[in-house]
Amino acid sequence: MAVLTIENVVAGYGIGPDILTGLSLSVEADKSYCIVGPNGAGKSTLLKVICGLLPTRSGQVVFDGATLNGQRADQILHRGICFVPQDRSLFPDMTVRENLRMGGYILKNWAEVDARVDAMFELFPILKERSSQPAKTLSGGQQQMLLLGRALVLRPKIIMLDEPSLGLAPKVSRQIYDSMERLKAAGITLIVVEQNARLGLKFADWGCVLDLGKLVFEGPSQTVLDDPRIEELYLGRRRPRTGNGT
Amino acid sequence: MIHNIQIAILGLVLGGVYALMASGLTLIFGVMGIVNLGHASFMVMAAFISFFAFKGLGLDPILSIVITMPAMFLVGVIVYRILFAHAIADPHKRAVTVLVTFALALVVEGMLGYLFSNIYRSTNPSYASEAILFGPFYIPEGQFYAMLLSMVILIGLWAFLQYTRTGYAIRATTHNRTAAEVVGVNVDRISMLVFGIGMALAGASGSLLSYLFSFYPSKHWEWVAILLSLVVLGGMGSLLGALIGALVLSVIAAFVSSSFGPTWSPVTFYLALFVILLVRPQGLLGKRSEL
Amino acid sequence: MSSLAGNLATGSAAAAAGPKRAFISALVIAAALFPLVHIAVGGLNYWLHMALFLFMNVAIASSWNIIGGYAGYISLGHNVFFAIGGYAAAILFAYFGISPFIAFPLCGLIAMAIGFLVGTITLRARGPTFIISTIALVLLTKILLDNWGYIGGTNGISLELLDLPVALVKLPFYYAMLALAIGAVWLSMRIRRSKFGLGLRAISQDETKAEVAGIPIRFYKILAFALSGLFIGMAGALWGYYLTYLSPVIFLSILVGAKFVLMTILGGRGTVSGPVVGAFVFIAANEFFVSQLGATELNIVATGTALILVLLFFPEGIVGTLKKNGRLPRFLDWD
Repeated sequence: MAVLTIENVVAGYGIGPDILTGLSLSVEADKSYCIVGPNGAGKSTLLKVICGLLPTRSGQVVFDGATLNGQRADQILHRGICFVPQDRSLFPDMTVRENLRMGGYILKNWAEVDARVDAMFELFPILKERSSQPAKTLSGGQQQMLLLGRALVLRPKIIMLDEPSLGLAPKVSRQIYDSMERLKAAGITLIVVEQNARLGLKFADWGCVLDLGKLVFEGPSQTVLDDPRIEELYLGRRRPRTGNGT
Repeated sequence: MIHNIQIAILGLVLGGVYALMASGLTLIFGVMGIVNLGHASFMVMAAFISFFAFKGLGLDPILSIVITMPAMFLVGVIVYRILFAHAIADPHKRAVTVLVTFALALVVEGMLGYLFSNIYRSTNPSYASEAILFGPFYIPEGQFYAMLLSMVILIGLWAFLQYTRTGYAIRATTHNRTAAEVVGVNVDRISMLVFGIGMALAGASGSLLSYLFSFYPSKHWEWVAILLSLVVLGGMGSLLGALIGALVLSVIAAFVSSSFGPTWSPVTFYLALFVILLVRPQGLLGKRSEL
Repeated sequence: MSSLAGNLATGSAAAAAGPKRAFISALVIAAALFPLVHIAVGGLNYWLHMALFLFMNVAIASSWNIIGGYAGYISLGHNVFFAIGGYAAAILFAYFGISPFIAFPLCGLIAMAIGFLVGTITLRARGPTFIISTIALVLLTKILLDNWGYIGGTNGISLELLDLPVALVKLPFYYAMLALAIGAVWLSMRIRRSKFGLGLRAISQDETKAEVAGIPIRFYKILAFALSGLFIGMAGALWGYYLTYLSPVIFLSILVGAKFVLMTILGGRGTVSGPVVGAFVFIAANEFFVSQLGATELNIVATGTALILVLLFFPEGIVGTLKKNGRLPRFLDWD
């Protein structure tokens, strides 16, 4: 049963060219997804479109039977889709607790938010220790945990993570993925964009391969990982890195 | 020694008022990246409201903040909608946006000058000419009240930013606009609100200015340059920085004024600005990227 | 053979530059001959005044464009150079008897030298902070001049009128301002086409990348700032003498500097012909407003409103917008 469907979506930035060129994808509630593909394939752009940060030029995004097109980011959050961007987008001068509270910003009930923040501290004890320190004093891995925790405050149905392992040491990456396993076990649908395809596909149930703004193929993670076309995409047609992956 | 302490006291008292005047400026810069060169022209506008409320209705200038703050808030919201809503958050448009605020200041100055002419004015409530004695020291009564009110408003502003949901959203937008959007803050609404609050703070400052100093429409350039210099000293966008900058420069200006005459008091601020640019362009609490 | 090819090449280049060169030559010749009509017919003093005022503003806007247009550093304080030139000439004339017609190049150099010093400080800042520092510079200079008794302080200083019949008294100023306009546009054009100008434009696009590309950004910015003061200083020297009276208010009210900016942006900052077109349109519009509205206060409102409208709807100015749409007539494309 597809909970989120993306149909023929075309999108791009400003007056620039189309980055997504008619992408279709459907997401089922009881699976976790890893989106892989070369730089510039449109992985991050897809996530931004789903969470309402970037408008579609054409096509549709449907979640739980409702069209998300034209909705603001906060309205989409209300429906239960959370986004964790790749640039460690914390509030560096606010404390850890304040950052977590911001995760529940769209809930009007502040006491409820505080209760949920405290529940979060059970899940990530290290954050509790640091709760009154500014977020910028945390290590890279701790910051990534804080981002996860911030998304969890809303108890969303779907969490989308953009390159959670970016810039982290392998050991720390594994810790992050361990925490994500717990979220998966708790019944949250995870959509992960991951440059490190092996790491991401090992984690997810289902792999989706994007190239040039379209879905090229998809399948169970292990199948995708073994598919020779992956190698071709990553190694065969080597492209120059163009800044941050989009 | 007593003489010097007396001068420092006078500087600190006035510095508290400067901090209020600069708070709106620095708040708006923090959230939107807009340096509002029209800030002081709106202060003068509010001073005129207080002036006519005092002359016409006998309303005390301090009490007149109940008119000037909401009125200037409304002006701020309208101005934001018309001029700035589409230009914020685009660093390429920032230089142009500063020029827009500059032009806005000219419009306000010209309108006030046309309507009320460029003559010196001030409200003169009874306390404007009294002094309060503390042992061997004195504080002019009007300045004392102005400082108290400034501190009350600034503490209120600080508490609002620190403890309310909207305050969280404002701080979050200041620190990371994209992340604020991601967690569901409507950054456009927040920007509009902040512009309104900044203007309301200019409104309160104007009411105090109406009896602390004599004012006329084109006087606002002098004010805005003073306020900008202390905001640059403290670090653009930082409220605490503005307070520190205000207290430090105001005390220095008080000493300059007592040694060389009041004409040279504003020179302290302008020169300080150049010295800061030479020594620490990012200010005391600012980041380099915020220049 | 190769010299023939060379001749052909320069020939075609001359043809391409044809309409532009012809247009500029015609303008200059017309401007140079105009006073002869005045001498023959008489009664054109108002038009002489407007023309020399225009020439001065062409020189000023073209100079401001070097730092504000090419380098992208918006200065709201260039009237400081105007004041420095004016007061330097006044001091030399009133105390040493040197005519501003002899001294004005020196006054321009003084303004430029001070620009160099000021630039080393203010150009440490970028964007908004730089703009703030230029406003502070105006206010600081005004306080200094207001309190300098030697040059009359706030009361100002009067200069003796040039000893010529009324019909002729404007002519020396007319030709001097014309020379300034030609000189400033020439300088602007030369800079625009030089490596220096390329560097300035790189700075206005992305300063960090420009630095990485090996452009000495600090030196270039300071040099641009100082050079932009040169002709403005000379204009100030002649203008003070023309008015026969200088006071800090005349030269250093914020509005004066604001008009420099408005003219250039209106015409199109960053282009060579933009400031010329801008000065012309601005002066025509300003003259219209002053005659219709009269009051100086409304003049301030009109200046501010015009600036807002241009910035919001026309940020690239007349020449810039036409050029972007490919509609700029060839004779106006001086880049």
